[in-house]
Amino acid sequence: MANLAKAKVGSDRNRTFLLILIPVLILFVAFNTFPLLTGVFYSFTDSKGYGAFNMVGLQNYIDLFGDARVGNSYLFTFKVAVVSTLITNVISLVLAMGLNSKIKFKSAFRALYFVPQILGALVVGYVFSYFFTYIVPALTGTGSILASTEWAWVAIVVVCCWQSIAQTTIIYITGLQSVPEDVYEAGNLDGATGWNLFRYITFPLIMPSVTTNMVLVMKNMLMVFDQIVAMTSGGPAQSTESISYLIYNNGLSGGQFGFQCANAVIFFILIAVISVAQTKFLNSREEQL
Amino acid sequence: MAELSLEHVGKTYPNGYEGVKDFNLQIADKEFIIFVGPSGCGKSTTLRMIAGLEDITSGTLKIDGRVVNDVEPKDRDIAMVFQNYALYPHMTVYDNMAFPLKLRKVDAAQIDKIVREAARILDLEKLLDRKPSALSGGQRQRVAMGRAIARQPKVFLMDEPLSNLDAKLRVQMRAEISKLHDRLGATIIYVTHDQTEAMTLGTRIVVMKDGVMQQVDTPSNLYSKPCNLFVAGFIGSPQMNFIDARVGEKGGKITLTFGANTITVPDAKAKALKPYVGKVVIAGIRPEDVVEEHEYAENKKLSEKIAATVTVYELLGSEAMIYGDVDGGQISAHLSATNPVRTGDRIQVAFDVDKLHVFDKETELAIVH
Repeated sequence: MANLAKAKVGSDRNRTFLLILIPVLILFVAFNTFPLLTGVFYSFTDSKGYGAFNMVGLQNYIDLFGDARVGNSYLFTFKVAVVSTLITNVISLVLAMGLNSKIKFKSAFRALYFVPQILGALVVGYVFSYFFTYIVPALTGTGSILASTEWAWVAIVVVCCWQSIAQTTIIYITGLQSVPEDVYEAGNLDGATGWNLFRYITFPLIMPSVTTNMVLVMKNMLMVFDQIVAMTSGGPAQSTESISYLIYNNGLSGGQFGFQCANAVIFFILIAVISVAQTKFLNSREEQL
Repeated sequence: MAELSLEHVGKTYPNGYEGVKDFNLQIADKEFIIFVGPSGCGKSTTLRMIAGLEDITSGTLKIDGRVVNDVEPKDRDIAMVFQNYALYPHMTVYDNMAFPLKLRKVDAAQIDKIVREAARILDLEKLLDRKPSALSGGQRQRVAMGRAIARQPKVFLMDEPLSNLDAKLRVQMRAEISKLHDRLGATIIYVTHDQTEAMTLGTRIVVMKDGVMQQVDTPSNLYSKPCNLFVAGFIGSPQMNFIDARVGEKGGKITLTFGANTITVPDAKAKALKPYVGKVVIAGIRPEDVVEEHEYAENKKLSEKIAATVTVYELLGSEAMIYGDVDGGQISAHLSATNPVRTGDRIQVAFDVDKLHVFDKETELAIVH
C-alpha cells in the first residue's frame, strides 16, 4: 500500500513537471528548432526570401568559400572577437580585483560598473556613434574613426568591450569570492605577495570563471550585430561587416536568402566548435576547490 | 628557533571592540605554548597578530629581539597551520610543500631534499603526487603540517589544527604533534579551545577570556593551582564542583558551611581564610577529590561526611561518574567502576581537603589552594 501511494505521489509530481516543461518545449521547437531546420533546408536552395526557388544542392556552400565579401566578414568578425575577448577579460579581471578588495563604497562601485549591462546594445551603439563622430574629433582635432576603413573596427571593439565588461566583471568577482581567505593568508605567510600571489594562487583558482568568461564573451563577440547596425552599418566600404550583419543584410534585403542561410549554417557550426574546443581546453586547466 | 616577546599587546577593532587587552608574554626558545579559552576570547586574534595577519593596535611584538610589529608576514620567518588547512587546491602535495621554498628561490635539488624529508617524517611519501581534493581530512592536516615543516621557520603557529578531525584521529595527531615538537625542537604556539589538547601538548598554557589573559602556567600548576574561578572551571573535565559556603570559626578551626553540612578547613589553608570569617565564599573541589564511602583511603585527609543523593550514574569503562544533590548544592564525583553505588542511592561522601580550593565570591580570585 505504502509503495502504491508513493508511486501515485511520484506520478502526480511527474505530471506537474511535464506540465511545466511541455509548453516551453513546444515554444522552443516552434521558434528555435523549426526555423533552424528551415534555415538548413533553404541553404540548399536559391531562394531570394520570397517567390519560387530551386534546389541547388551544395552550390551555396561551394560559392561561400569563393566569396570575397564573406571572407572579409569572417576576417573582420574574428579580429573583433579575439581582440575584444582578450581586452574584456583583462580589464574585467583587474576591475573585479579592485571591486573585491576592502575599499569604501564597494557596493556603489559595483552597481555603477554594472550599468552598461542593463542598457540596450543599440542604445549604447548610438551613444558611442555620437561620441566617435562629434566628441572625439572635437577633442583630438582629427576625423572620426568611424569614417576610416582602417580604424572603424577599433570603435566597434571599444563599444563591445565597454558593454561586456559589466557581466564579465561580476562573474570574476564571484570567482574571486570563492577562493577561501585562508588560502591567501597561507600564501602571504609563504612569501607570495603582489604579482606572485596573483600568478600562483589567485589566477589558477579562478580558472573556472576564466573559462566561463572566455567562452561567453567570445561567443557574444562572434555574433556582434547591434553595435554595427547602430554605428557603421557595416561601412565604410564594408570594412566593419560582421558575419551576422552580412547574413541579416544580404539575406533579408539583398536577395541572397538561400546563400546567407548556408552562411548561417556554417557560422553556427563554427561557433559551436569553437565554444566546445575552448571549454575543453580551459576545463583541463581548472582545479577542484 | 626563536624567542618571542609580547609586551602590552592589544587589538582594538575600528568599531571600538577590544579583541585583546594588554597581553604580556615571554616565550622561550623551544617552548610549546598553548593559547586556550572559549570562543571569542581573543586567542586566535593574538596568534594572527603574531603571524602578521592582523595589525597590532598597541604594544610591541618581538621575535628574537627584533620588533616585528610592522614587518610583513612573509618576513617574520614563521609558518602557520590553519584550522581548515588552507592548502593550495591546484597544487600537488609536493608542490604545496615546495611552494614557500620556490618563492625563496631555494635551488631545486635542495627543495627536493627538504620536501622529501618532511614527507618522510609525516608519512606522506606515497601521497606526494596527489592533489588536496584527493586526500582525507587527516592527510590534508599532515600536508599542512608538512608545508610548515618544509618552510623551516623560526616559529610554528597552529590555529586549532585538529578541530576538523574525528575524535580518534585527533588523539593520534595530538601524539604526532607532540613527537614533532621533540624532534624539531621548535618554538610552537598552538591555539585550541580543547583543554585536553592544551593539557597534553603544552609546556605552558595561556588561559584567556574576553581578550584578557587569565593565567599562564604549566599544565599541572594550572590544574592544581588555578588563579581564579574561570580557570578552575575551564581546566578539568568534568569541571570542578563549586559550592557557595559560609566561612566560620569553631574551636580555633576555620570551617565552611553549606546547607546542613560543615567541613573543617585544614590548618595549612585556614590562615588565608581568617579574614573571610562570616562571609560567603566559593568552595571548589574536583570530582576526583570527592571520595565516596566505599573508597575512603587512609592516605587522604578527608573532611566530615556529607550526605548526598545520586541523581545520575555514568559508567565510563575503567571508572564511573556520579552526579548528586547535597544539602546546599550539587556535586559530581569520580568512582571506581567496581563501586556498587547507583542512581537513586543515598550515599556519604567526603572531600579530600588538601585539594580544596576557595575563591572570593566578589573578585572570583583564588583565596587558597
